[in-house]
Amino acid sequence: MKFGNILKKELRELLTVQTILSMLVVFFVYAFMGKAMGGAINDAVTSGESMTVINLDGSDFTARMLDSLPDYGFTPQISELESENYFTEMERLGTESMIVIPAGFGESAQKGGGAEVEVYTLMNKGGFGSALTGSHAFSGVYAIESYVSDSFQNDVLGLSEEEKAYLSEPVVTAEYVCANGRTENISAESLMSVMMSQSILAPAAVFFLLMMAAQMLMTAISTEKIDKTLETLLSAPVSRLTVLCAKMTAALAVALLNAGFMIGGMMIYMSSMMSSAMSDISASGEAGEAITAAEAAASLGLTLTAGETAVYGLMIFLSIAIGLAISLILGAMATDIKSVQTLLTPVMMLTMVPFLVTVLTDINALPTAFRVILYLIPFTHTYTAMTNLVFGNTGLVWAGVAYQLLFFAVCMYLAVKVFTSDLLFTMSFSVNSPKKKSKSTRNKGLQTEDREQ
Amino acid sequence: MNEILRVEELSKSYKKGKKAVDSLSFSVHEGEIFALIGPNGAGKTTTIRMIATLITPTSGDAFVDGHSIIREADKVRSAITYLPDEAGAYKTMKGIDYLYFMAGLFCKTSEETERCVSRAVKMCGLGDRLEERINGYSRGMIRKLLLSRAVMTRPKLAILDEATSGLDVINALDIRKTIKQLSKEEGMSFLLSSHNMLEIEYVSDRVGIMNRGNLMVTGSVEELKSRYSAANLEEVFERVVNSDEIR
Ligand SMILES: Nc1ncnc2c1ncn2[C@@H]1O[C@H](COP(=O)(O)OP(=O)(O)O)[C@@H](O)[C@H]1O
Ligand SMILES: [Mg+2]
Repeated sequence: MKFGNILKKELRELLTVQTILSMLVVFFVYAFMGKAMGGAINDAVTSGESMTVINLDGSDFTARMLDSLPDYGFTPQISELESENYFTEMERLGTESMIVIPAGFGESAQKGGGAEVEVYTLMNKGGFGSALTGSHAFSGVYAIESYVSDSFQNDVLGLSEEEKAYLSEPVVTAEYVCANGRTENISAESLMSVMMSQSILAPAAVFFLLMMAAQMLMTAISTEKIDKTLETLLSAPVSRLTVLCAKMTAALAVALLNAGFMIGGMMIYMSSMMSSAMSDISASGEAGEAITAAEAAASLGLTLTAGETAVYGLMIFLSIAIGLAISLILGAMATDIKSVQTLLTPVMMLTMVPFLVTVLTDINALPTAFRVILYLIPFTHTYTAMTNLVFGNTGLVWAGVAYQLLFFAVCMYLAVKVFTSDLLFTMSFSVNSPKKKSKSTRNKGLQTEDREQ
Repeated sequence: MNEILRVEELSKSYKKGKKAVDSLSFSVHEGEIFALIGPNGAGKTTTIRMIATLITPTSGDAFVDGHSIIREADKVRSAITYLPDEAGAYKTMKGIDYLYFMAGLFCKTSEETERCVSRAVKMCGLGDRLEERINGYSRGMIRKLLLSRAVMTRPKLAILDEATSGLDVINALDIRKTIKQLSKEEGMSFLLSSHNMLEIEYVSDRVGIMNRGNLMVTGSVEELKSRYSAANLEEVFERVVNSDEIR
């Protein structure tokens, strides 16, 4: 009953407006990132069909070409220039990229040599968007190319339809990916978009979960210590283990709630990435690809089975539990709010370093010494688990689970040790070590302040 | 008179070789207000934390209502309440919820909890403000809330570390009055501490003067003042410390 009371109180303290907001923010960031990125790609694909074109060439050929471009899947929006400054012109026309057909284009194209078009991309807000639209000016260029090539083949060379078809695709590439002893008819590129979400997004989610959980519990426990509500609580008839268990349970529950939000957000992200990846494939119409990237990944064993997902979930759970136990111990050492940030640093390093290494390189390819050091950090096992599970390094994964269990047991043992001994009140860490205790003048002016501390 | 607290040769070293509290012995009787006084760093908080079972003594023992603070810590915790120096309360809670939460830890039945809380509500004088979050409370309001929480369960011994420090005159006076009243009218026992020696005169029945981990003398305020022919406790302290250094 006392446990229940304290648990309720802990939950209330952890579930502040701030923590709930940050959960929602993470959820929406994931969800919208998927939507926005999927959307940007789709947008770029569709809006590539219509783009500003400036015609500086007066030839009949070019005029005919611009009329026929819609047949090639591209609708030019013909505009006129008012000045020579392309930057201000693009801003005036409200376009982020445009195709300029210079004078003499028609003549060169008909002669069969060195016809040139210019593509201008506006960079005024930086980032992804302009780069994407810029690259999609090339679908306009592609249409122009096709038209010029066709007219050359028709009018100059006088080729038949079969010959033209042959020239348009003289060699067909069939791409295959081999993994886990199986082969699938899919291009490595389209498979990568699916794989990336597994090998980067999942570790990123684990990283955020760990940081948020550690920060949350450490703030809570150090606040209790600084406000001396912990002293008050522990002088009441409750066992210290009850208090410790309630704190740990509440923090785990909140962290799992957070994980729920994150997984929800990620699922939305994944599904929108998948659908856009698929529309990408159908748009580019690569030869011979009979199945979608997601299906291929599953059939190649590159996605997690139900059992593997359970193991992965267990590892995430253990990592959070370890992070919380460490935070509990470190948080108990805080003597002021400022020291909390400093105490958070070791936890942050332990979570960030293996995360970055996992995302940027392949840990298993590192020199043994580095690998051993990294695998001594319990979180590393969770970061690499996805890849290891997918590629069948199950031994490494199970060793990781065992190590994490052991690590958790040791951390909890230490936490219990700290909580049930003097250490909880004597162990301290403060940023500016000489304690500054300024006590304002009391009601009765005079006082003997013989500072011993 | 019954002894509520008996302290026997209690010592504590945080670091080896340096005693923060050195073989303290004293007792507190039922219905009495006993105050440990001395400058900052004298060892008052260390002594109090040992009696409140938060830290363990290096040597010696103390008995609250006959229970050892070392061997029967849980029984001691049921007999005492402790208000730490400069303590706060859970900021996100409403004052009233804090009282219910703390009462729930001490009381066995819900009737008992209700009785304790209504006592605290009457005593703290915060009225409607109890329905607000502690977040917005002033220092004085928090101290009143915490004091009423410390006495609402009628503990055998209420331990208050620097009960009035950091408060303005009016709030400090209110707190002192409440303590005095509880002792006179309900026979509650208090162990107080203060580094403000002038103020503590008005509230305590007996005091123990501490300096550098040692308990120099104990006695009633009047007794000490006449023994050292001093006008107030500050002068008593000065003379006690001087005579100690001459010895
Ligand atoms: N957690 C601690 N670790 C080490 N030394 C401490 C600790 N707390 C108090 N001390 C030391 O013990 C002595 C007594 O301190 P304290 O009991 O807080 O005195 P008071 O409450 O009378 O001001 C001081 O010298 C102080 O520096
Ligand atoms: Mg003190």
